[in-house]
Amino acid sequence: MTERLTVVIVDDHSIFRSGLRADLDDALEVLGEAATVDEAIETIERLQPDVVLLDVHLPGGQGGGGAEVLRRAKLGRTRALALSVSDSAEDVVGVIRAGARGYITKGSSGPQVSRAVATIAGGDAVFSPRLAGFVLDAFGAPAGEQAETDAELDRLSKREREVMRFIARGFAYKEVAAELFISIKTVETHVSAVLRKLQLSSRHELTAWALERKLL
Amino acid sequence: MLLAGVAAGLARHLGRSTATVRWWFVLLAPLGGAGVLLYLWLWALVPVAEPADAEEAKGLRRATPVALLLLVALPITALLGSVVADLGAIGALAGAALVCCAVIAWSLGVDRLDPSWPAAYTNGTRLLAAGILLLCAVLAALGVTNPQGVMTVLLASLLALVALGTLFAPRLVKLWSELGSERVARVKEEQRAEMAAHLHDSVLQTLAVIQNRAGASSEVARLARAQERELREWLFAGPAPVGADLAARLREVAETVELEHPVVVDVVAIGEAELPEDAGQALVAATREAVVNAARHAGGDISVYVEIAVAQTEVFVRDRGAGFDLAAVPDGRLGVRESIIGRMQRAGGAATVRSGETGTEIVLRWPETRRA
Repeated sequence: MTERLTVVIVDDHSIFRSGLRADLDDALEVLGEAATVDEAIETIERLQPDVVLLDVHLPGGQGGGGAEVLRRAKLGRTRALALSVSDSAEDVVGVIRAGARGYITKGSSGPQVSRAVATIAGGDAVFSPRLAGFVLDAFGAPAGEQAETDAELDRLSKREREVMRFIARGFAYKEVAAELFISIKTVETHVSAVLRKLQLSSRHELTAWALERKLL
Repeated sequence: MLLAGVAAGLARHLGRSTATVRWWFVLLAPLGGAGVLLYLWLWALVPVAEPADAEEAKGLRRATPVALLLLVALPITALLGSVVADLGAIGALAGAALVCCAVIAWSLGVDRLDPSWPAAYTNGTRLLAAGILLLCAVLAALGVTNPQGVMTVLLASLLALVALGTLFAPRLVKLWSELGSERVARVKEEQRAEMAAHLHDSVLQTLAVIQNRAGASSEVARLARAQERELREWLFAGPAPVGADLAARLREVAETVELEHPVVVDVVAIGEAELPEDAGQALVAATREAVVNAARHAGGDISVYVEIAVAQTEVFVRDRGAGFDLAAVPDGRLGVRESIIGRMQRAGGAATVRSGETGTEIVLRWPETRRA
């Protein structure tokens, strides 16, 4: 792909936006910025970027923040990467279930964000160690719960659990692939499958959080 | 203390014995009720002294079951009402009702607030009084007395109301105070949430920007990160689940190492289970050693992943340094071999070290093998 990836940055802090803009890779082209929910929806629909970098906490709209943007905007081919200073499970799950393809913390460096944007644009999911840890916890992995079939949404398969554990331990996709003797593509497939489960699962813990936050 | 402790309090103030003061009150009583009035006046107006210590508080026990005595005296009062005041049955009923009201008032206002009386006694006397009161009301309404029209009915309804009120008063009072405290708690929680949202939007963001702009290993970034951690802990401090203890202790370890070394330690902890204290201590100490080791020899980003489960608790400490060969480490170096591997083995766990070109990972397990 010789064409540059297009990006829109949504964050209510101009200092953060300009900082991120300066840090991003040259392979990314920042089309625009937005600071509120309504501005974000308008900007995304008008510019149709490849990827929107979306802050979880945003003013405006109905107070739903980044998740509200994803639910209300006509995203088209645009994919979302959630950026947050928040570690709380509710925030992360909320924005993922609203459709974000990945989640990284705001402490991530420019190159890290750029890599994540490229991954998201390629159709894959981006999991930080923290998100992987949360997924393991929410799907009952420490208690040894395991899916019986591939179709099951409420538990992780053995392979998915292994992949998530490596990511939680700080391994990059490439390293996970090497550890498990599988291809990077397969790792990405597993991660995408987990993301799908996270978005679709009706597991009690997830639903409870979502309900609490009025996301359903 | 017999009644309200007025005599005892006065005695202490005057430096006389309680018995002497009591006798003075009794002697003064026939003089137009002076003793009784003085007692009531002092009781109402003199502030209550706080007990100096728990021992004294125990001694300050009301010895007289006032409410019960009043109930026992009820027939006498009824008799006095009907015979002495020459009012017949109405007098008897009124006298009984008055005593019942006094019992209820005493039970609600004094006995209930006094922990030395069991709830069964307090409720019992009150229920009994309420019952008699109701009986009076029924009798008055049935016109056992000379039917005196409106007055009787009014009196009966009033008595019935007092009796009903007595039955429900404590519950109502409790409900009311609970509502009040709940409201206060809610307001506090709302204020806290509002402040948290504000801090979250402003300070945390700024701290993140500072860290990003200053570069991960600079002094400024470390300070910002330490502040961020502290603030975050305060903001998101919820009820701590079981097993959060180990996770919290490991986060503390990460924090101290970050302060001492130019590294970023990311702790991800999941699951919950109860761990024996010595196992927890060994895990925390070994993790500290592993993280310090990584900070010294590798630097940069260090990932700590903790999985706390009933079957087995595991801690993974990973760095991205050049790696080292455990076999090549001289025996004199205690670090890894003693402080990590030896410590875990002594606690009934195990530790393994894997080192390669892309970094080192130290894995701690407790117990050594998974429990079924």
